[in-house]
Amino acid sequence: MPPSIQTTNTATLIVQDINKVFFGLRALENVSLRLQKGEILGLIGPNGSGKTTLINVITGLLPLTSGKIYINSTNLSSAKPYQIARAGIARTYQTIRLFKELTVKENIEVAAVSIGSSRKEARHQADAIIQEFGLEAWVHYLASALPYGLERRVEIARALAMKPLFLLLDEPAAGLNEEEAEELLHILELIPDNKKLGMLIVEHDMHLIMRLCDRLHVLNYGKTIGEGTPEQVRRIPAVVEAYLGSTARGD
Amino acid sequence: MKITTWLKNIFTEHSTLFILITPLIIIALVTDLLDDTLTERIVITMFINLILVLGLQLFMGNGGTLNFAHIGFMGIGAYASVIFSMTPQAKSIGLPDLYPIFNPIQLPFLMALLLGGLIAAFCAAIISFPLMRLSDAAAVITSFALLVIIHVVLVHWDNITAGPQTLFGVDRYTDLWMSVIWGIGFIILAYWFKESSIGLKLRASRDDRYAAATIGINMVIVRWVAFTLSAFMAGIAGGLWAHFITSFSPKAFYLTETFVILAMLVVGGPGGVSGAVVGTLIVSIVREGLRTIESAINIGQLLPSTLVGFAEVFLAIALIVILIFRPGGIMGGREIRWLKKRPLSQKNEDGTNTTIS
Ligand SMILES: Nc1ncnc2c1ncn2[C@@H]1O[C@H](COP(=O)(O)OP(=O)(O)OP(=O)(O)O)[C@@H](O)[C@H]1O
Ligand SMILES: [Mg+2]
Repeated sequence: MPPSIQTTNTATLIVQDINKVFFGLRALENVSLRLQKGEILGLIGPNGSGKTTLINVITGLLPLTSGKIYINSTNLSSAKPYQIARAGIARTYQTIRLFKELTVKENIEVAAVSIGSSRKEARHQADAIIQEFGLEAWVHYLASALPYGLERRVEIARALAMKPLFLLLDEPAAGLNEEEAEELLHILELIPDNKKLGMLIVEHDMHLIMRLCDRLHVLNYGKTIGEGTPEQVRRIPAVVEAYLGSTARGD
Repeated sequence: MKITTWLKNIFTEHSTLFILITPLIIIALVTDLLDDTLTERIVITMFINLILVLGLQLFMGNGGTLNFAHIGFMGIGAYASVIFSMTPQAKSIGLPDLYPIFNPIQLPFLMALLLGGLIAAFCAAIISFPLMRLSDAAAVITSFALLVIIHVVLVHWDNITAGPQTLFGVDRYTDLWMSVIWGIGFIILAYWFKESSIGLKLRASRDDRYAAATIGINMVIVRWVAFTLSAFMAGIAGGLWAHFITSFSPKAFYLTETFVILAMLVVGGPGGVSGAVVGTLIVSIVREGLRTIESAINIGQLLPSTLVGFAEVFLAIALIVILIFRPGGIMGGREIRWLKKRPLSQKNEDGTNTTIS
C-alpha cells in the first residue's frame, strides 16, 4: 500500500479549464471538475459529448491542448500514462481492454505488481480481490475465454488492484443485461467507502446513475452544461434540452 | 524443508521445467555414450541454437515485437569473447589489425565467454533504448536495419574482427556438456523471466499497450530490460559457438542464421518457453534429416544436377504452413505441464453452461 497517499484524508482530483482539440474539432472546452475521496461523480452527456475524451486526457493517453490536472498539489498535466497511474488514477475502458493472453489472476496481479508490490504480495492482493469479486472459479482462465459480463468485472478488479485514489469507469454497465447491471451496481456502490477512493462514472443508464451518484457533471459538445446533485441537474433546462434533443434525434 | 517444497514445486507448479529439461538431458547422455563426432556436432549446434531461440523468445514471445537483430548480438558475443580468449600469438595471426592493447589480454574461457555476453548486452542496451517504443512494422524494420548495421560493422571494423575474412586460430573450449549446461540454465532463466514481475508486465504490454500504461507499466523500460537480457543470451550463444567452430567470418551472423532461429521459434510457438524448446528440437531434427537425404541424393547422383538448399526451402515452406494453419506455433503459446494443471479452455468450472463430462 503506497503510504504517502493512503494516509491523507483529503485526496482531490482537480481538473482545471481543460481544452482538447482534434484537428479543429473542439472535443473539450474549458471543462473543470473536482473529485473527492469517498464520493461518486457521474459524468453524463449525449453520444460524442467528450466523456471518453475527458477520461483519456486525465489518464494521459491523449495530450491536453491546454488546462491543468492535479492530485492535490501534484501537477499531472504533462505526465505520462504510467506516471499518472502510479500517482493513483485507475480506469476502465468503454471497449474492454483486458490482457487477453494472461489469466484472470495474472490480469489482476500485474496491476498490483506495476504499482510496486512484489510478486508474492501481488499474489495475495489478487487473491483478496478475486474473492471480493466472486471470480474464484475463473482465476486460471485466459481473459480471452471469459464471458462478456465477467470481462467487465475483471477490468474493475484489475483497476482496484492498483489501490488507486481515483477510479474512472467508462460505461461499466454497457452491454450488460438487467440482472448483471444490478449486480454491478451493488459492487460499485460499496467501492468508494471500502476502498477509500473517489469514483467517476460515465454511464448512459440513468437508473444506475441516479441511484449511485452523489453529484453529476453534464457535458454536451465538449462543454459543461450542468453540475450538481442528481435532483439539481434534472432541473437544469440545458440538460433537459440536451437529453430531449438527443432523444428526439432518434438516439 | 525448503528443499522438499522446492522439489515438490518442480514436479507440480513448475512441471514444465522438468518436462522440458529431462529429454534434453537424455539426448545429451545418449550423445555422450555414442561418442560419434558427427552426432556430437549436431547436438552441440542444437543446444547453441536453443540458447538463441530462448533469447529470442524472451523478448519476442513475451513482448510481442519481432526482432531481426538477435543474430547480430550473437556475432558481437562471438568476436568479443574470442578477443579475450585467444592467445597473443594466435591473435597476431588471426586478428592482425587488432588494437594493440587487446593483444596481450588472455582470460580463462568462462570469463571471456561471460564478457562476450556482457558486451553484447551492453551494446544492445545502448542501441535499443530509443527503439523500444516502436511496435508492429516500425519495430520489425528498425530491428532489421540494426542487423544490417551490426553486420556492416563486423565486416569493416577490422581492428576488432578479421574483417570479411575468416578468423581462425580460436581454441576449442565448447564441448557437449558446456553447451548442455548453458542451454538448460537458459531454459530456467527464460521460464523464470516469464513468470517474474517484469515478464508479467512485458506480457501485459504485449497484449494491450494502452491498458498496460494506464495500470502503471512503463513499457519502454520493461522491453528494454528484456531486449538487453535477450542480447546477453545471444552473446553467450555466440561465444559458445565461436569456441566450438573455431573459425568463422561475419557471414555466419547474418540472414541464414536469422532465418533458422526465427523458423525454430515460429514453428514451436513464440508465446512460451516450451515452444522455444519444441521448435528447436523439431527443426533441428528435420533439418539434419533433410540434409542427410540431400547429400545421399547428391552422392548417389540420383538427380541430373546437384541438389542444394533443399533443407532451407523445406524449412521456409514449413514456416509458411505453420503461420497459415497454426499462427501460435505448435505449442500455441502454452507451456507443457502435467495434465491436471490449469484449465485454459472455454469450459466452465463452476457448472454454468456445462454438460456432464
Ligand atoms: N482520437 C480521436 N481523434 C479524433 N477525434 C476524436 C478522437 N476521440 C474522440 N474524438 C471525437 O471527439 C468527440 C468526443 O468523443 P468521445 O468519444 O469523447 O465522446 P463520448 O462522450 O465518450 O461519446 P459516447 O457516449 O458515444 O462514448 C467526438 O466527436 C469524437 O468523434
Ligand atoms: Mg465514450
